Amino acid sequence: MGKKISIDPVTRIEGHLKIEVEIENGKVKDAWSAGTMARGFEALLTGKDPRDAPFVTSRFCGVCFSVHQIASARALDDAFGANVPWGGTLLRNLAMGAEYIYDHVLHFYHLTALDYIDIMAVANYKGKDKDLVAVKEKILGLVKANDTFPLTPRYKPDEYCVNDPDMVIAAVKHYIDALSMNAKARNMGAIFGGRTPHYQSIVVGGCTQYPDINMVARFRTMLDEQAKFVNEVYIPDVLAFGTGPLLPLATMGVGGGHNNYLSYGALEKDPAGNDLVFPPGVIFGLDPGNIKVQPFDQKKITESVKYAWYKQDKPQHPYNGKQEFDLNHKEAYTFVKAPRYDGKPMEVGPLARMIITKNPTLLGLVKKGVKPGAVARHAARAIETKLIVDACYKWCDDLLDAMTKPGFKIHDTDHWEPPETGMGVGFYEAPRGALGHWIKIKNKKIDNYQAVVPSTWMASPRDEKKVRGQYEESLIGVPVPDAENPINVVRVIRSFDPCLACAIHLIDPKTNEIRKFIVE
Amino acid sequence: MDKERELYRELELKGVSRREFLKYCAATAAVLGLSELEFTTRVVQALESASKKPPVIWISGQDCAGCSISFTGALNPPAASIILDKISLRYHEAIMAASGHLAESVYHETVKQGGYVLVVEGSVPSADDRFCMVGGRPFRKILEEAAVKAVAIIAVGACAAYGGIPAAGPTKGIGLNKALPDRQVINLPTCPVHPDHLVGTVLYFLATRKVPLLDDLNRPKAYFGRSIHDNCRRRGYFDEGLFLTDWNDPNQQDWCLFEKGCKGPDTYSDCPVRRWNDGINFCIDCGAGCQGCAEPDFYADLSPLFTAEGEKSKNIMARKKAGLIPKKKEA
Repeated sequence: MGKKISIDPVTRIEGHLKIEVEIENGKVKDAWSAGTMARGFEALLTGKDPRDAPFVTSRFCGVCFSVHQIASARALDDAFGANVPWGGTLLRNLAMGAEYIYDHVLHFYHLTALDYIDIMAVANYKGKDKDLVAVKEKILGLVKANDTFPLTPRYKPDEYCVNDPDMVIAAVKHYIDALSMNAKARNMGAIFGGRTPHYQSIVVGGCTQYPDINMVARFRTMLDEQAKFVNEVYIPDVLAFGTGPLLPLATMGVGGGHNNYLSYGALEKDPAGNDLVFPPGVIFGLDPGNIKVQPFDQKKITESVKYAWYKQDKPQHPYNGKQEFDLNHKEAYTFVKAPRYDGKPMEVGPLARMIITKNPTLLGLVKKGVKPGAVARHAARAIETKLIVDACYKWCDDLLDAMTKPGFKIHDTDHWEPPETGMGVGFYEAPRGALGHWIKIKNKKIDNYQAVVPSTWMASPRDEKKVRGQYEESLIGVPVPDAENPINVVRVIRSFDPCLACAIHLIDPKTNEIRKFIVE
Repeated sequence: MDKERELYRELELKGVSRREFLKYCAATAAVLGLSELEFTTRVVQALESASKKPPVIWISGQDCAGCSISFTGALNPPAASIILDKISLRYHEAIMAASGHLAESVYHETVKQGGYVLVVEGSVPSADDRFCMVGGRPFRKILEEAAVKAVAIIAVGACAAYGGIPAAGPTKGIGLNKALPDRQVINLPTCPVHPDHLVGTVLYFLATRKVPLLDDLNRPKAYFGRSIHDNCRRRGYFDEGLFLTDWNDPNQQDWCLFEKGCKGPDTYSDCPVRRWNDGINFCIDCGAGCQGCAEPDFYADLSPLFTAEGEKSKNIMARKKAGLIPKKKEA
């Protein structure tokens, strides 16, 4: 019997998540992932006007708000029979593109970079670059003032932490710069979204922001600044880390998991939707030398609640799923349900998308020996950010083209009123992965609403067959030489960019008591 | 050198090892042309007289992190400068380096010391504590204990102020008005919080050590003193009864959004003047109307959001017809 440890709260993620791991011989032997907060959004939507749903479900997440708004609007589009005009799709895509750019950059610098650098190495910077010297002085100033919050405390840097002063000081500078770049990217999204977080303009049938030429010009100017940062700072940083000091972690494939991948496909490059930035597809048991992609079939999605705090039921398709809590369910350890595709747990998100689309840059890294895992996830995220930047330029051109032609439309006004009855699904690709919203309408009101979000796919608990969820499986075999310093565990978990609040506790395997680490 | 030992102990607590610190001293001493001992002594002296940055604890309950993201959207001053230069951010789950027990230890240490500004994001589940657990403990208990020694409490966003959207759900989320009924709380509603409202309130408090002037819903009057309608650029069209019905019609682009569910006449916030995202846009300018997120009845009592069929909308129209809403030129 190994030693069980628990980390609670796992910070630098969105939400409340608890992860427990059992460690044997310096490696993770078993793992449990648990979401520890619930609000009951699906339940509170029942009986409401369906048109409320995009606005309300945006509040699923204040980090990736637009994906929920758009996925929800698409579910309504489907249920109402609305045909979103190309202008409306372009506005949604540009709003979404801005979110991708900010979200991926934020994830790398603000949510994970601190796991990979020894920030105190800035003290050893010997260079003369004025900006970098200023960064060094800022950090040393904090140390001198004996107040280095929130940069410390931290897990002790291990052998994979970058401590080359030049690399670290550049990373710290980029951490600070990226905060402002994020804010500006969100401002860019607000040109068509109204404001962020939580866009206001995305509704069933299209978008409410009637564009003018100045808006497009402004978006493009702001996009230029973002593109420069992505191409000259973000991507080089990720590649320098991934193919440099972190190469051992990358080639070991630390944090790999089930090797099943799923993408619903999203982001139209043409009015017919034949050409997508992210194509749909499914891969079971990836063989990097021979990637076989199967078509995606939504009927194969089910959700199990066997280990979750819900009223027990057999696995259901989301159209039929319910959100009835049962906090006393004995076997349960999480609020997260267990979605499965054809009965299998899946990884969704940038790595899934870049493998399914057989992205040449990612496959190039695979040829160099990089295996699916935590480091590969960061690389895939950076690679696809560039795809999004390029697509945004195209959408700006397309929008200018469309809006200067007669009959330009942004909304399907004929399908604004809710149908008496109906059902619809909205598939989308969130920064974190495959996202689906399902709605049933009765008497013009919401009869049932269900969302299966990317972090539900990945933070899921075990299913009926006791098969682990993707976070849980990805932790198996992860090196934890020091149980007091489980830095690799949080590296792996954060590489998924979790969007819920988790926690990992240290538990005594004999008494099952949570070990106290509180400093009295 | 007791002081030096004390220093190392404190640094260890903050995750800086003695070895790291000495390395830093050696490097810096060399740059300054001082001996290592001389430099270490000076640092120890500096520590004693260092002016302390005010500590801040930011806790999250039933939240979406939207208020955190909104705060990091501050550009003038930039969020990085607030986090690193203006405050000592002891606890913020989305920002701090520490996880698990390390994060909890800082929290407990700071709560024990007291004297911090407490920022709360998200609602508190009133149906059952188990709907929101952090570090294995109910969020409600964490909030109650953190409130005791806080010098000021700021509720950011509609959820923390009045319950917001979670109030409508089975977990019965409540805001600080109900979760901490005996404490003075500065409410900064809107969903999410406006970064200017938060940064301004924090800086005002730190500069004056006083709570800004509040309205009867405990919102700073400076930000929530006038209705959206008072300052709305579409107000003339409301007076004339010209309401947008088709988002595709260029002729209607400036018309009033009442028919699309705008609740501006009964919502108090400076959004039309301040706008959002560094002034780039805001809800009414993007054609979607105001959904009343600065008010305690947000969200369920304002549903349906996108039509004029809700009670609030009917009431607004009745008042307009009775001449109770002053026209722009008369106001």
